[in-house]
Amino acid sequence: MKTRQIVIGLISMAVFFVIFVIPFILVLLTASKTPAEAASVDFTLPERWVFWENLVETVQTRDYQLLLAYWNSSVITVGAIVGLVIFGAMVGYVLQRRDTKLTRGLFFMVLAGLMIPPAVVPTIWLLQGINLFKTLHGMVLIQIAYGLGFTVLLYRSFIATIPRDLDEAAIIDGGTPLQIFFRVILPLLKPVTVTIIVVQAIGIFNDFTHPLYYLPGAENVTVQLTLYNFQSQFVSQINLLFMNILLITIPPLLVFIFFNRQIVAGMTSGAVKG
Amino acid sequence: MADVVLTDLRKSFGGLEVIKGVDLHIESGEFCVFVGPSGCGKSTLLRMISGLEDVSSGRIEIGGKDVTRAEPKDRGIAMVFQSYALYPHLTVRENIGFGLSLARRPKAEIKEKVDAVARTLQLEDYLDRKPKALSGGQRQRVAIGRSIVRDPSVFLFDEPLSNLDAALRAQMRIELTDLHAKLGTTMIYVTHDQVEAMTMADKIVVLNGGRIEQVGAPMELYDRPATPFVAGFIGSPKMNLLEGEAARKMGAREVYGIRPEHLVLSEGDGRWAGTVRHVERLGADTIVHLESREVGPLLARVEGHREFRLGQEVTASPAEGRAVLF
Repeated sequence: MKTRQIVIGLISMAVFFVIFVIPFILVLLTASKTPAEAASVDFTLPERWVFWENLVETVQTRDYQLLLAYWNSSVITVGAIVGLVIFGAMVGYVLQRRDTKLTRGLFFMVLAGLMIPPAVVPTIWLLQGINLFKTLHGMVLIQIAYGLGFTVLLYRSFIATIPRDLDEAAIIDGGTPLQIFFRVILPLLKPVTVTIIVVQAIGIFNDFTHPLYYLPGAENVTVQLTLYNFQSQFVSQINLLFMNILLITIPPLLVFIFFNRQIVAGMTSGAVKG
Repeated sequence: MADVVLTDLRKSFGGLEVIKGVDLHIESGEFCVFVGPSGCGKSTLLRMISGLEDVSSGRIEIGGKDVTRAEPKDRGIAMVFQSYALYPHLTVRENIGFGLSLARRPKAEIKEKVDAVARTLQLEDYLDRKPKALSGGQRQRVAIGRSIVRDPSVFLFDEPLSNLDAALRAQMRIELTDLHAKLGTTMIYVTHDQVEAMTMADKIVVLNGGRIEQVGAPMELYDRPATPFVAGFIGSPKMNLLEGEAARKMGAREVYGIRPEHLVLSEGDGRWAGTVRHVERLGADTIVHLESREVGPLLARVEGHREFRLGQEVTASPAEGRAVLF
């Protein structure tokens, strides 16, 4: 039994290494190479380490565009997360606590938002109509709309585990609906809120396609779109491209490492009451 | 201090009527217990008084003021829930002071009131703990503290002791009775346990199927039950109820009731002959289960040390003037 466990452990470690670690090493090595060396994209040690020079050059490209992209992406992420948490929790609370025909219909709409694929062109047309196209707050609203279905679903099932007696005790204590929500219910949703923050923040920060469609314009660049700076039809600066990949991977990685334990707690705490 | 008057109170869920016209006057300062089997509507009635449940028709007055359509917080009531319903993310101090903090009272006032309540309930050492670090009895006391701090004119208790073990329940019964004596506030208490009703109440309201069966002081209900339901529900072990021919033979129109302690067992002649089926020794008393050929099963409560064998033939006779006839 013991040898078997060790063998299985070693095999899993090897698979984990190949899938998760080797790509990361490739990115790190290529990001440290000179342009000529990097052009062949192979798994060798660089002959000359130019990690720092590549880093400086990547950041400085196009008048420090990467920094602007960090700023834009952070604004979109933070704005969308705040909206998702507040609205998702509120909608989930009402949908769970009030079981009427209306709320059942609304819940179906939430599920439909998860199932029906988004239509890009009509959305752009709508955004143009309300002057939100090519704006950061328009992008924030888009991300809230895309994330809300999943968020409401998670919150609704989690709120079902919070006894209704707590709401009623707060009503007797003289709480208004908003007081009850913000002072009793929302603090109790912390585990699932952390899960939502991490999952959605990583997804929104790393989003490539939606900013590409809805947020054109050099001043609106987001981190994933900066990757285009180093790739074109005739010239590709592979070493800088990989350096860029490395730089924009760091923030989500930090978020994930920091919240890792709470995520697992949040994922399971809705499933089993306890 | 306030009295509570319910007038022709009704409640329907969809087409189903669960409270079928309740008229009741609870005097100011009274400890009133609603008791009945599960599903009789006692909790619903309490929730209607609290304002958590809407009233379908009828009228609720608290302290002479019509509160039928008032918000719970405007009724001058406080409620203790069966599950305690403590806020798990707040400390004991914050739990007790939550209502005051919602009302935006000054911090110093909240602290003063919470400290006073904690002294009354001996919770001073636990004020900075979270509810999950407390035992069942302590949680119950915090829940009571949360209601006291509101300084209500009526306390509502929804089966507050049913999650506690037997020893703690007995202790909390005494604590609650003491608390009532100390505060002198009107209290309405819901339970399915007739022992709690008998031991704590000034006035017992027996509910059955959404209607009041009888209202009265504990011993009044025990000695003079108005209906066979009350006779069977109040008192443990249950009253012996004979129906049909057997009851008519004893002079009753429909039902003849005799309490187990009023049944005299002997080896000689007696009213009903029967076989001992089962003997329960409680120490001070012994409960004897008889199977009578004439009237079916009978319960008798006798002195603790009397000897009975299973299968023994004995006779049972009702004590003079103790029977209840319906």
